[in-house]
Amino acid sequence: MTRAVTRRRDWDVPENKQPVIETRGLRKVFRDFWRRPTVEAVKGLDLTVNDGEIFGLLGPNGSGKSTTIKMLLGLLRPTAGVIRVLGAAPDDTRAKARIGYLPEVSHLHPFLTPRETLMYYASLFGLPRAQATQRTRELLAMVDLEHAADRVVSGFSKGMARRVGLAQALVNAPALLILDEPTSGLDPIGCREVKDLVCALAKNGVTVLMTSHLLADVEDVCDRVAILDHGVLRAEGKIAELLRQPDAVRFEVEGLDESDAAAVRAELETRTGRRVRQEYPSMSLESYFLQVVARDGRQRSFAMAPFLHSPSASPHSQPSAPISNS
Amino acid sequence: MFPHDGQSGAWCLALKQVRAIARATLVEAIQQPVAFLIMLSAVMTTLLVPVFQFHRFGEDGRLARDSGLSCMLVYGLVLAAGTAGRTVSGEIARGTAAAALGKPVQRVTFLLAKALGVLAVTVLFAIGVLSATLLAERGSAHFIAHGESAGYVTDVITLALAVAGVAVALIIAAARHYFGRRRFGVSAFVGVALSQVLVVLGTGFYNRLGQFYPLHGEAACTGCGTDHAHAASWVLYHPELNLRVVPAALLVLFALAVFAALATALATRLPTGSTLAVCAGVLLLGLAGDTLLTGAPLWSGRGLAAGLLPDLQNFWLCDALAHGGRVAWRYVGEAALYALTCCTFFLGAGCLAFRERDLG
Repeated sequence: MTRAVTRRRDWDVPENKQPVIETRGLRKVFRDFWRRPTVEAVKGLDLTVNDGEIFGLLGPNGSGKSTTIKMLLGLLRPTAGVIRVLGAAPDDTRAKARIGYLPEVSHLHPFLTPRETLMYYASLFGLPRAQATQRTRELLAMVDLEHAADRVVSGFSKGMARRVGLAQALVNAPALLILDEPTSGLDPIGCREVKDLVCALAKNGVTVLMTSHLLADVEDVCDRVAILDHGVLRAEGKIAELLRQPDAVRFEVEGLDESDAAAVRAELETRTGRRVRQEYPSMSLESYFLQVVARDGRQRSFAMAPFLHSPSASPHSQPSAPISNS
Repeated sequence: MFPHDGQSGAWCLALKQVRAIARATLVEAIQQPVAFLIMLSAVMTTLLVPVFQFHRFGEDGRLARDSGLSCMLVYGLVLAAGTAGRTVSGEIARGTAAAALGKPVQRVTFLLAKALGVLAVTVLFAIGVLSATLLAERGSAHFIAHGESAGYVTDVITLALAVAGVAVALIIAAARHYFGRRRFGVSAFVGVALSQVLVVLGTGFYNRLGQFYPLHGEAACTGCGTDHAHAASWVLYHPELNLRVVPAALLVLFALAVFAALATALATRLPTGSTLAVCAGVLLLGLAGDTLLTGAPLWSGRGLAAGLLPDLQNFWLCDALAHGGRVAWRYVGEAALYALTCCTFFLGAGCLAFRERDLG
């Protein structure tokens, strides 16, 4: 069965990696103007994200995902608990210099063009002008916004603004990428490109923490997930382990005609004494959509090559080609 | 990749960040239509006062001078407080502050850069209005004894050039926007200020009667208010401007800098409307401080208010210019130190308030 186009684990995640993000007993209580508590958004969260993995933070609206991310970045002060990000406190600027952050809403200065936006963020990292110019050019090419590079972003669609947001998150070639709803506002092609990009970056040693409401996206790319609900960690683990149904087995056979399928089914029922369900798997709507637009010649892929040389990439990491369409 | 390790590297990075954030703040602020309208209103009000002058207040040009400096203070206060409110509390609300502080930017660096950006807007505004004030004072009716004739003369040419300068600046800004897709607000705001500076420089080529130089000796001067060392010589360039206004305008600029710092600090916790209201209150109390608060015991409500509120009378020396009076440069220096102290106090308080601010 063809599920999503992008599959996360075409390569191995090294075991025993160092933790990049650690929280212990993390709490956040929001207060009103008079300092009275209004809501406890995060309740004693213990979380560990290891080096090189793609970690998904899931949960319904108001579950504390974005609050957790903002505490990791030092934008919100935790009420209690300990946070270590890249071995430092969340407001340590040396650690932040190695983090890329895409907020839930792209939060762009409406009066700046994409080129000016990227130059602005590059200057916040202290990149020399020549290097910032070069990186800006590469990033604009990557997110396919060269044609709109000198238009102010206030007139952009949500998807275009999202692309600028994604580019600014990569301006420092981060070792840790934090993506809050990265595919929000993107069309299926854009979603696919973002997932490809995330996988390609992880393949080269970048740790990724992402949240998404689109569970299929998370399932496609993440190694491990944590599920938050009302600020409490309800489940955590590898996707394969969490989703495994130990009391069921599925076989997939290609090219089996109707009569052979019926015979196999009857044989299995005879042997096991259990009811056997027979299905004809279909591709996902996303895959079908991408096939259709690929026929139309519109499908493209982020030109990621310049961004695969991240500072955190191990010496033996090989620059990879964009993941092929399957 | 990041050449900013170590103490000096951290300072270097902080300076780069300050420059980038302050520049973005300046561009954002002056491209707002309201900023341009404030600049346009202040300049046009200043320039048109001499046209509708029906009383001399005992001195040629006094009404134009006082009006110009008043415009600078009041419009400048609205501009500084509004810009600070929009750029700090607005960015916190929109999330762009969080996006910047998600990068390796210290909160103190961010706030100081914002204050510098607001100050830069205020300085540009002050340059424009000061130039307009100089032109308005020169253009207003002056008693001139020239040759065998004497009477009140309004320098219509200067006033017309100043107004035309504003119009040309707007046309150029529109053309830049249409043909080059440049930001109209930025071009217009800077253009209006620049046009007034250019007209100020241009007034040196003719006298109040509209006679172009070179002229000989006293024939060239129609009342510049200075001694006539050039009486026996040919005059090629002689701007008949009351430059005594400049130190008084500098004092007003210092007051605006104090308001920029105060508004930036307030905007870390208050929305723009509240910031404007508090600044207006401080303006009123600060101007009345001499009367209301002087002599109060230190540990009383009035005494504490006297200590905490900036004494704005220190910055308002318009009356000192009456009848040829001057503001001593030494006093300007002392006022600068006082303004710096106020700015440091307000920004320090702002940094403390911003340090624990949740950015969501």
